[in-house]
Amino acid sequence: MTSFLILLKKELRYQLRTYRLLVVVAVFFIFGLGTPLLFHYMPEFMPESEITIQLPQFTTTDVVNEYIDTVSQIGMIASILVAMSAVAKERELGTAALTLSKPVGSGAFITAKLASLALVFAAGITVGALGCYLYTMVIYGDLNARDFFLANLVAGLYLLFCLAFTVMCSSFFKSQLAAGGLALVGLVCLAVTSGLPVMKDYSPGVLLVWSRDIASGGGSNHWGVLTVSLVLIALTLLAGWQVFKRKEL
Amino acid sequence: MKAISCQGLTKHYGNVIGLDNLNLDIEEGTIFGFLGPNGAGKTTTLKMLTGLSRPTSGRAWVAGEEITLYSSSLKRKIGYLPEEPAFYNWMTGREYLVFVGELFRLSPGEIRTRCDELLEMVDLSQAASRRVGGYSRGMRQRLGIAQALMNKPKVLFLDEPSSALDPIGRLEILKTITRLKTQATTVFLSSHILADVERVCDVVGIIDEGRLIIESDIDDLREHFARSLFELEFEEDAFPFIKLLEGLPWVEKVVLEEEKDTSKFTVRASDMARGKRELPKLIAENGLTLRQYQLVMPTLEEVFIELLGKKED
Repeated sequence: MTSFLILLKKELRYQLRTYRLLVVVAVFFIFGLGTPLLFHYMPEFMPESEITIQLPQFTTTDVVNEYIDTVSQIGMIASILVAMSAVAKERELGTAALTLSKPVGSGAFITAKLASLALVFAAGITVGALGCYLYTMVIYGDLNARDFFLANLVAGLYLLFCLAFTVMCSSFFKSQLAAGGLALVGLVCLAVTSGLPVMKDYSPGVLLVWSRDIASGGGSNHWGVLTVSLVLIALTLLAGWQVFKRKEL
Repeated sequence: MKAISCQGLTKHYGNVIGLDNLNLDIEEGTIFGFLGPNGAGKTTTLKMLTGLSRPTSGRAWVAGEEITLYSSSLKRKIGYLPEEPAFYNWMTGREYLVFVGELFRLSPGEIRTRCDELLEMVDLSQAASRRVGGYSRGMRQRLGIAQALMNKPKVLFLDEPSSALDPIGRLEILKTITRLKTQATTVFLSSHILADVERVCDVVGIIDEGRLIIESDIDDLREHFARSLFELEFEEDAFPFIKLLEGLPWVEKVVLEEEKDTSKFTVRASDMARGKRELPKLIAENGLTLRQYQLVMPTLEEVFIELLGKKED
């Protein structure tokens, strides 16, 4: 077994033992399941009054768009909360020093962290997507499984970027809060600027637009955004590793 | 062959000097005691020698490997116990040792055997399946020693290994360190418990404010700092002999151990070498029956205080 696999196994056990895996999966499941239910029962949630509020007839597109928005927003917050401690906490406590006094590369250490978090979020998105798909089918009876799967894959890629960015920030600091703060500011700035003319063709935030397009059967392609996002994920990982390996423990 | 060699090893933290031009050679199989007050630079040295910190200047070799930050080939040959070992609290003691064994690429069989041996050695077999988060400080220290020995290291770095242990635990650890000598393991032991260092170490280095003050064989050090004092005890009354001694040019003072008892006294010499040469001859010439003749040797603690005290002056 390579050091990466040994560390990945350790990280996954950590996610399991500390209930992080369970919490992340539960969060995605609740929001995945809740979105179609919320839309279906929304008229019943409206308080009775003399003023008549005309609600539009919701379609599967509305449900899926809302689901993608929720997954991206909740997912981004969850990714910051879960990943901000990844490296910073180990440096702060001293566990990184003891692990890295063994024949382990700092690259394997960082990569295993990101890989384990990616697997946890992949499990969460899968469960959430299944919940959303099943209830949408039960309530609305019409959702293209292939498109919905691809839409989740693209949204998942956006969350992978959020995780990679937060892990990078975590390797900059010994303080989890500083790491989380920097990640939040960075990701919010990215989301806000995604609509700007130059950014709309390349920003990872546009992945969510693409995800919604795919889910609603739209034919637009954003291969440039996909390429840039993959390159940015690799670069943030590389930056995190390079910064971390220069840090003294 | 040298197990550890440092050439001008220096570490600066901004304007603060953590370690200043450390030159040190430690032979294979030596148990080296690294002494110094708090903040002297002991942990800084250990971190650089284990590849966890980068020197500002200078070079060092450990087990034939030049130290570089996070060098894997270096780490395969060393064991390291930090001052306050931090473990993954959600793991059990055994799980942590298995994890360390895997990182050293030991086979599953080797890991199992080594875990059993080490848990037994540090008296943690009963607590092996308990989570490390519930361990006492002493238990964590013992687990730290076990993990440092997992790969049967050529050079073992121990930073205050016995500071959190009770007297029996300390004794066990000192026995373990002594046993390592028979396995040709070099031990670099940083400690402020001078009695422990005195008990197990062959060579000591004393560091203060980042500078190595002295490096010496422990017996040579005590000899060097031996106070010029002879303790003598005779079967008979030695009053005439005391009078004779008081008249000699190399004798500074004769002090009776107990008033009116002239059979037991100490002689402070102004010239130690002459005293060592002439005193036995004089005793024989005066026909005295010797019960005790002892050159008073200082403890390591006295040497330590004297050295650091001199520096203060």
